[in-house]
Amino acid sequence: MSLHKTLNLARKLLLVALAGLAFAAPAQSEPLRIEITEGVIEPLPFAVPNFQAENASAGEMAQSIARVVAADLAGTGLFREIPSSAFISTVTSFSSPVQYADWKAINAQALITGAVSVGTNGKITVKFRVFDVFSQGQLGEGLQFAGSAGSWRRMAHKVADAVYSRITGESAYFDSRVVFVSESGPKNARQKRLAIMDYDGANLQFLTDSSALVLSPRFSPTGDRVLYTSYETGFPQIFLLEIANVGRSALPTPNGNMSFAPRFSPDGNEVVFSLENGGNTDIYRMNVGGGGAQRLTSAPSIETGPSFSPDGSQIVFTSDRSGTPQLYVMSANGGAARRISNGAGRYNTPVWSPRGDLIAFTKQNAGRFHIGVMRTDGSEERLLTASFLDEGPTWSPNGRVIMFTRESQGASGAAALYMVDITGRNLRRVTTQGAASDPSWSPLQ
Amino acid sequence: MKTGLYISGLAHAALILWLLFGSLFLARDNEDLLQVSQVSILSEAEFAALSAPEPVSVAPATSTNAPARPQPPAPEPEPEPEPEPAPTTPEVAPADIDRVAPEAAPEPEPLVEVAPVVRDPVTPDQAGDVTQPETQATAPEAATTEIVTEVTETAELAPATSARPHARPNRTAPTPEPEPDPEPETETAAATDPLADAVATAVAEATEPSPVPSGPPLSQGEMRALQVSVGNCWNVGSLSSEALGTTVVVGVEMTPEGRPEIASIRMVSFSGGSEASARRAYETARRAIIRCGATGYNLPSAKYEQWREIEMTFNPENMRIK
Repeated sequence: MSLHKTLNLARKLLLVALAGLAFAAPAQSEPLRIEITEGVIEPLPFAVPNFQAENASAGEMAQSIARVVAADLAGTGLFREIPSSAFISTVTSFSSPVQYADWKAINAQALITGAVSVGTNGKITVKFRVFDVFSQGQLGEGLQFAGSAGSWRRMAHKVADAVYSRITGESAYFDSRVVFVSESGPKNARQKRLAIMDYDGANLQFLTDSSALVLSPRFSPTGDRVLYTSYETGFPQIFLLEIANVGRSALPTPNGNMSFAPRFSPDGNEVVFSLENGGNTDIYRMNVGGGGAQRLTSAPSIETGPSFSPDGSQIVFTSDRSGTPQLYVMSANGGAARRISNGAGRYNTPVWSPRGDLIAFTKQNAGRFHIGVMRTDGSEERLLTASFLDEGPTWSPNGRVIMFTRESQGASGAAALYMVDITGRNLRRVTTQGAASDPSWSPLQ
Repeated sequence: MKTGLYISGLAHAALILWLLFGSLFLARDNEDLLQVSQVSILSEAEFAALSAPEPVSVAPATSTNAPARPQPPAPEPEPEPEPEPAPTTPEVAPADIDRVAPEAAPEPEPLVEVAPVVRDPVTPDQAGDVTQPETQATAPEAATTEIVTEVTETAELAPATSARPHARPNRTAPTPEPEPDPEPETETAAATDPLADAVATAVAEATEPSPVPSGPPLSQGEMRALQVSVGNCWNVGSLSSEALGTTVVVGVEMTPEGRPEIASIRMVSFSGGSEASARRAYETARRAIIRCGATGYNLPSAKYEQWREIEMTFNPENMRIK
């Protein structure tokens, strides 16, 4: 090969190389890219200094409200309160600038400041701000609530709800109530009556006396009514109770047969329940005011524990048609049902999540009771608890937490209410006066 | 220190210029010498005489030893491999394969360094511990067996993709200076030779000073250390399930000391969720970058240009409730 050809070839190769270099150069100016797939799951540390009392009469209430807010957040297990003894700086005014460095130093990632004032008419005003300490900015705008002095706890719950939502991005559940069966007396002669309380056990009120056995109270979607089963007529019958005036009335069921396990439809206009007829138990739906009864199942087995999906199109229920109690899903108008529980053991008390994505249930297997959740098609079953007796799950309004009954073993054993996150974390007992069972969680107020 | 660099740069530049333009001086001479007479014409008889004997001698050799026609030279080597390689290869090959796999695992090394940080046992009540902002309490009795992060972690220990081969860093400084000498010739050549023109343009672009990252790229270990450092502060415990389904890409500019410039942190993009959930996911990611970068990430300062700007993809796939 001649020198000329060699040089020409070299020139071309060089051209290609330089062109490649020219194109490669801009690529290098791009940022370094990494992917983070492994994080940590820890409670987020937060600080709630005592709220500022904007007048003398608000002093005690300001502290109490701050404590309730802190307890709400810490109780979720998603947050961890930093004790005030660790604080470096103090908040002296609601409008004073935040000393981020001081809060960073104690690793407070969220800071909640607030102020309370009591008006001349007795009304209280609560205002608050949430700060992202490490980002050195406010999370959302400041907010304030006004109400009567008697509702200060509720206002505190509302503040906590707002804080929770701003940090997590989902709705909360603090400003909600629970209706349940309050129990007293020895285990073999229990007296039961309906009671209602805040979700955290405060503001307990009894809705019925203990003259008749009551079971399975269920909140209406608007939280102003309760369906429950009572034996006051000698056999189980469904009653409707207005919470505001504690007035109650029996639901007229077909043929006056035994009815139980009621639950509202998502629009609150209908009730789905079990009805015993000639030794066979099937599921019916009817108007809350009575009438329009429709039989949804007709198998020669026990069908009970119905629960609507949030969109009202389907119903999950328990049936022992296969020999043991299992979970089935059918159209809200009845018809063919498909079995969704496939694990070993017996499944009962299914409840559709308010988010619509999960079904909570009670499972009995190998001598243990569990509260669990599964997808609505029965997949991804996860057991969240295990004990001598766990049963009767009810969902928090945001579908993040499940409350249920746990009964301890032995003659002295008693029922109590517990809560657990749907991750299985943060299992904790709900404070109640005496024994309690069969909880039903209200929607957010 | 840079004397060698300058000498090398000058030498390279001279070589490049000689390759580019040296031929111009020789071109005229060579053009005159170009002839087509080297192509000789053969008659059919000559061609037959040249081509016939070779296939004849090769064909028998291949046909006797191997059915594969295209491997005429194979016969001689084949007899030797048959007796010896047979016993040796079965032993060597698997052994080599087995050794390769474990050695690909040197990646665990960074993990070993990191593990203690992840498992820092801190009691939940030590919130007021001012000196250890990073060692927060782990979720009490939190971890459930359902979230099999360890399984997925080990699966991801080995890099999913090999390190991108970065181009060699440019040695730009010395080269532009020697260029002025041959410039006059370049101009004349460029006027007549488009190829040379293109080359000159490419050279100019390639050697032009630019904010190109300098120094070698980050090693796998350095990248992994950065991932772990940020991940240690990426607390998704308070995220909603929807936000846990949202992947966000966060851009950040770094100071030479390895600290994130807070004002530069921004959400580049997100996927898998609503804007609201992306916002929450971004806030959590932002918090992670700031918290663990407060004292500066452990990044090699010599490679600052490589990590001056970083895009971090926060993918919570492994952190979701399964």
